[in-house]
Amino acid sequence: MAAKESTGPGENAPLIRLRDIAKHYEMGSQLVRALDGVSVEINRGDWVSFIGSSGSGKSTFLNILGCLDRPTRGQYFLNGAYVEELGPNQLAEIRNREIGFIFQSFNLLPRATALGNVAQPLIYRRIGYRRRREMAREALRRVGLEDRVDHLPNQLSGGQRQRVAIARALVTEPSILLADEPTGNLDSRTSADIMQLFDQLHREGQTLILVTHEEDVAGLGDRVVELLDGKIIRDRRAGEPLA
Amino acid sequence: MFHVIFESTRSALVSILAHGLRSFLTTLGIVIGVASVIAVVSLTQGMSAFIGESFSSLGSNSLTIQSHTPIAEQMRGVRARLTPEDLELIERRGEGIASITPILYANRSTQVRYAAQTTFSQIMGTTYAYRDVAQSWVQRGRFIAESDNLTRRRVAVIGETVREDLALPENPVNEYVDLGGEWFKVIGLLEPKGEIMGFNQDDIVLVPYATMVSLSGNQARQDIQIQLSLSEDAEVADVTRQLTALLRNAHDLGPDEDDDFTINTPEQLMETFDTIINMVTLVIGGIVSISLLVGGIGIMNIMLVSVTERTREIGICKAIGAKRHHILAQFLIEAMLLSLLGGLIGLALGYGFGTAISSSIESFPPASIPLWAAALAMGFSAFVGILFGILPAAKAANLDPIDALRYE
Repeated sequence: MAAKESTGPGENAPLIRLRDIAKHYEMGSQLVRALDGVSVEINRGDWVSFIGSSGSGKSTFLNILGCLDRPTRGQYFLNGAYVEELGPNQLAEIRNREIGFIFQSFNLLPRATALGNVAQPLIYRRIGYRRRREMAREALRRVGLEDRVDHLPNQLSGGQRQRVAIARALVTEPSILLADEPTGNLDSRTSADIMQLFDQLHREGQTLILVTHEEDVAGLGDRVVELLDGKIIRDRRAGEPLA
Repeated sequence: MFHVIFESTRSALVSILAHGLRSFLTTLGIVIGVASVIAVVSLTQGMSAFIGESFSSLGSNSLTIQSHTPIAEQMRGVRARLTPEDLELIERRGEGIASITPILYANRSTQVRYAAQTTFSQIMGTTYAYRDVAQSWVQRGRFIAESDNLTRRRVAVIGETVREDLALPENPVNEYVDLGGEWFKVIGLLEPKGEIMGFNQDDIVLVPYATMVSLSGNQARQDIQIQLSLSEDAEVADVTRQLTALLRNAHDLGPDEDDDFTINTPEQLMETFDTIINMVTLVIGGIVSISLLVGGIGIMNIMLVSVTERTREIGICKAIGAKRHHILAQFLIEAMLLSLLGGLIGLALGYGFGTAISSSIESFPPASIPLWAAALAMGFSAFVGILFGILPAAKAANLDPIDALRYE
C-alpha cells in the first residue's frame, strides 16, 4: 500500500479525516457543487450514518469515501494514507484492503456462487484458490450462510444476497464497512435482520459507515450526520431529537 | 504476473463455458478459417510427399540434356539444337556415364491406329540403352535391340495405356500398328509405371532411334534429347560440369554467352515441382487465412458486446479492488482462449476435410499435416485472439468504476 506516514497523525488520530472536501461537476455550462466543503472525522470503531435526501450529495460523498472518485478539492486521510494523492491502481488497492462495500442492489457477480463472490476480492490480493475458499467460507459462516455457499445469487433471497455481500465486504478485513442504503431493497423484517447483523459487527469493533435517507435506519448508529446541498448541516449523537 | 494470468484463465474458462453456444458461434469464424487453411495445406503437402515418391522411381542417377533457347532468341527465329554429333561427342569423351541414349520426339502427338481403334500418343525414337537409363522394363516380348537400330527396323515397344486404348490383346507382341501412316510391328509391352503430375508414363510408343530419324524428314533441323545414367562412383555435379564444358566447346559458345542447353536431373525436376507446390500452398493458404482475420473481427464484435453486457460486473470487480490490468488480462485471455479453442476445433476439422477429400478422389495422395502448419495455425489463432481482444479488453479496463456500477 502506498501509505504516506510523514505528516501522519499518531495512534490516537481518527481513522478517517476529511478536510474541506468539495466535488464540482460541469453539467453543460452549469457548475454543479455536489459537495461543497465537507469536513468530518470518524474514529476507529464508530458507527456513523450519513443521511440526506436525494440530491444532498450523499452519493458523491460515498464515492469519495469509498475511493471510487476523487474530490475536486480538499484532503482525505484514510488509515495512514492521503487518498487524494493516489493513482488509479493505488486507489484500487485501497478499495481492496481498507474498504468493504455494501450496496443497495447487492452487486453480486451473477455467474459466481456465494462462495465465489465472497472469494473474489481475495483474487486481487494474490491469495491462492484453496486459502481463498477457506476464508470465504469463514466469512459466510459469520453472516450465517454456511449452508448456502454453492448457491448462485439468483437462487438466494434478497436478505441472503445482502448477507453474501456483507460477507464479501468482511472477508478482506477492511478498516471500514461502507454501506449504501443496505436495506433499500429489502422488506422490513429482512431489513431488521440485516441491521441486527450490522449491530453485531459494530459490537465486534468494526467501523461502520452507513449512507441512507431513512431516519430509523440512520438512528441505529452512534452518530448521525445530515447532509443538504453538499454541506453538513447537523452532526449529532443518535437518539437526539430532530430539530 | 503468473497469478493474474492463472486467475484470468480460470475466470475466462468459466465465462466461455457458461455461454457454450455463444462461445462456439463467436469462434466459428476461426474454426472455419483454420479448417480451410489446414485442409489446403494437408492436401498440398500430401501431394508433395506423393510426388517425392514418384520421382524416386525415376532413378536419381540419371541426367537429361535438352536444347534450350531463351525466349528472346526464339523471337528472333533462332533455335538451339542438340545434334547426333553432340551425342557422339558425349559418348566418346564423357566420363562417368554408364549408359546413354538419344531420344527423338515426334514433332507432335501422332495418331496411332490398330484395326478400327485410333489414339494419340507420344512417340519417341530411342535405343536399347533407354531401358537402363529410364528404368523401363518390358513385361511381354522384348525391348528395342541395337540391331533394330542399325537396320532401321519398323518395330515398336508400347506402353500399357496405348495397348488398352487400341484394344490390343493382352499380349500385343507380333500385332501391327499404324504410326502416322507407317506400319510397325509390336515387339514388346512395357511394365506400367503410373502417372507423374498428370503425365501418363504409360501412354508412350518407343521405336528405334534410326527409324525415327528416317521418318522425321529434314535431318538438318533435328533436335534430339540425350538421356544418360551415371556409373555408380560418378557424382552428378562432376558429370554435369564436364558435359557442360564439352557441349559449350562444341557449340562454340563464348565466355559471355549462356548455355544453349540444359542438363536436368529428376531431383531438379522434383525440386521444381516442390517449389511450385509450396508456392501454391502459400498463395492459397494466404488467401484462406484472410478468413482468419474475418473470424478475429467476429470475436472482437462479440467481446465488445460482452464487455457492455458485463459493464456492471466490471464495476463491481473494480469496486472490490480489481486493478486495470486484472480486467485487461481477463478479457484479453478470454478472447485468446476463444480463438485458440476455435483453432483446435478447426485443426481437427481441417484434417478431417483433407482426409475426406483425398480419400474420395481416386489416385489422390493421402492428406498429411506438417507440424509447422499445425503450430502456425495455433499461433496465428492466438495472435488473432489477442489482436482483436485488445480493443474490447482496453474498453473494459478503462471503464470508470462509478459509471460501470451505475450501468443498468
